Amino acid sequence: MDKATLADSFLADLEDLSDDEIQDEEVAEAGEEAVDADEDMADVPILNYDDLDSVAKLQKSQRFHDIMKKVDDAMAIGAQESSFKGTVVEDDPEYQLIVECNTLSVDIDNEITVIHNFIRDKYRAKFPELESLVLHPIDYSRLVKQIGNEMDLTLVDLEGLLPSATIMVVSVTASTTSGKPLSEESLKKTVEACDRALALDEAKKKVLEFVESRMGYIAPNLSAIVGSAVAAKLMGVAGGLSALSKMPACNVQILGAKKKNLAGFSTASALPHIGFVFHTEIVQGTPPPLRMKACRLVAGKSTLAARVDFTRGDLSAKIGQNLREEIQKKIEKWQEPPPPKQPKPLPVPDSDPKKKRGGRRLRKMKERYALTDMRKLANRMKFGVTEESSLGDGLGEGYGMLGQAGSGKLRVSIGQSKLAAKVAKKFKEKSYGSSGGTSGLSSSLAFTPIQGIELSNPQAHNAFGSGTQSTYFSETGTFSKIKKAF
Amino acid sequence: MSYLLTHLHHAFHVDEAIKSEEERVTIIRFGCEGDTTCMEMDEVLVKVAEKIKKFAVIYLVDVKEVHEFNVMYELYDPCTIMFFFRNKHIMIDLGTGNNNKINWAVRDKEEFIAIVETVFRGAKKGRGLVVSPKDYSTRYRY
Repeated sequence: MDKATLADSFLADLEDLSDDEIQDEEVAEAGEEAVDADEDMADVPILNYDDLDSVAKLQKSQRFHDIMKKVDDAMAIGAQESSFKGTVVEDDPEYQLIVECNTLSVDIDNEITVIHNFIRDKYRAKFPELESLVLHPIDYSRLVKQIGNEMDLTLVDLEGLLPSATIMVVSVTASTTSGKPLSEESLKKTVEACDRALALDEAKKKVLEFVESRMGYIAPNLSAIVGSAVAAKLMGVAGGLSALSKMPACNVQILGAKKKNLAGFSTASALPHIGFVFHTEIVQGTPPPLRMKACRLVAGKSTLAARVDFTRGDLSAKIGQNLREEIQKKIEKWQEPPPPKQPKPLPVPDSDPKKKRGGRRLRKMKERYALTDMRKLANRMKFGVTEESSLGDGLGEGYGMLGQAGSGKLRVSIGQSKLAAKVAKKFKEKSYGSSGGTSGLSSSLAFTPIQGIELSNPQAHNAFGSGTQSTYFSETGTFSKIKKAF
Repeated sequence: MSYLLTHLHHAFHVDEAIKSEEERVTIIRFGCEGDTTCMEMDEVLVKVAEKIKKFAVIYLVDVKEVHEFNVMYELYDPCTIMFFFRNKHIMIDLGTGNNNKINWAVRDKEEFIAIVETVFRGAKKGRGLVVSPKDYSTRYRY
C-alpha cells in the first residue's frame, strides 16, 4: 500500500535521528508545548501512519530537551566574556553547546520537513492544491491551522500570514478546489501536527538567537565581516563552522536562498544566486548595479574568515577587520568615475613606417593583382627580333616573348595560382583518362581538348614564371623518390 | 587676442622663433589684434595648437607692434599666416595666385590641419613649394 511505503521511507530516514524516547517526560519549557497526540497508538510496534510520533521523534527526545534547557540557562546568564582561556577552545563547554546547537538546528529542520509531509498528506483530502502554492513548511502549517476545516475561504482571515499576492491565489484556488472537509479526528491530528511544527520553529529561532549572541566568541572574523546575525544564519544552515569552512565561496553565496515560487509568478525578476550574504550591511550599502559583484566579493572574503575561525587562527578578529576594510576599499574603487579622456595630439606625419601585414590572406589578395607569367613574357623582348603587337606593325600592345619561337611553349597557359589549393586538389582528383582505381601518385598525362597534340602536364608550372617555386612543399607535386620495400 | 598662444613682441623674437625650430613647422600669424578676421583665425589656431604640437608650433605677431616685416612680407591684410621650416619659408599653392601666405581666416580646423600636414610632409622632403589639398581659387563666389 502506498501509505505504508511512504511511512517506511520516513522511518528509514530517521534511523539516526532519534535518541532515547521517553514518552512521558513533560518538561515545562518556555514556549515549548508538550502535547502528545495518540499516545496509546505508540504501543503498536507496527508503524501506524496515523501517529505523528512514530515518525517525528526529535521533539520528544531527551537530547532535544537537554539542549533547549542549556540554551535557556546560557541565555539567562547573559553574554559573558569567555572565561575559558585555554589553547584548545574546542574543550570549552560553551563552544560545545554551540556546536550542538548547530547540529540541532539542522535536525530541527529535518523534523519540520517530516512533520510538514505528514500535515500535507493529511490535508490533501481537504485542499490538495495548497501544497504546490505554499512551499514553506511553516507558512503551510500556519495556513492549515488558520483555515481548519473551513470550505469558504472568504470567512478566513489570512492577513499577515502570507504576502497578499499569495493570499489572492490561495483564495481563488480554494473556491475551485476538489477537496472535501476532513473528519473530526483527522482534523484534530492535523492541527496538533501544525502546532508541533510551529513549536519546533520557535525552538529553532531561540537556538539561533543564542548562537547569534555568542557569535563574537565562536567566529569573530566572520562576524566582523558579515555581522553576527548573518554569521549565525550561515553557520546554522551550513551545519556548523567546520561545514561552512569546507564549502567553496560560491556555495556560501547561495546559502539561505529562497526556494522557487511555483505559484505561477515569474522568477525572472527575482535576483539569482542570492542568499544570506546579500542581506548583509555591506552589500545592502552598495548601489544596486554593483550588488551582485559585492555579494560575490563578500562571500569570498567571508569564506576566508570562516576558515580562519575554524582553525582558531585569529581570536582578536584582526583578520576579519582587515578583510572588511579590503572589501570596502574595493567597493569604493568600483564606484570611482573613469579617468578623463586626454586629448591626444596627432602623430608626426610619416614618422612611423606603415605596419606591413603578412600571411596567407594577404598573399591571396595580392595574387589578384600579381604579375602573371603571361604578362612577364609579354614584358620581355628578344634581342634583335621585333616583337609582334596587337594591332600589327608596331601599333597597339607589344607581345614580347609571347608566341616567339624558342620559348619552348606553343601556347602559354594562364597557369594556376600557387595558392589555389582547392583547385589543385580538385584537379588531382579528376584523373583525366583513368578511372578511379589508380594510386594517387600517378601523373595525369592525357589528351584533352585544351592541350591538343601538346603533351604537357597541366600540373607542371612554366619554367619561367614560377621563380622560386619549390616542389618540396608543393600541393600538387608527387613524391620525388620512392624506395620499394622488398 | 589669444591668451593661450605665444605672442612675439620684437622682430628679434620672431627671427629667433623661426631659426630655432629643427623638427617642426613654424606657423606665424601676422595680424591686427582687434580685427574680427584675426580673432576668428585665432580661435581656430587655439583649438588646433594642441593637436598638431608634435609637428608644428604657432606664434602670434601683432603687425601694429612689430613693423619690420610689413613691407618685407607685404602684410596688408588683417590676418596673414606664413609657414617656415628650418629657417626656410615654405610656399603653398592654394590656387589664389599668392603662394606665400594664407591671407584669410580658415574656419575649419580639419582643413587647417590638412594644410599644415601637407606643408610638413613637403618641407621634410626638401620641397619649397607644396600643393594645398584644397583649392581656393573659387573662394569668392560671385
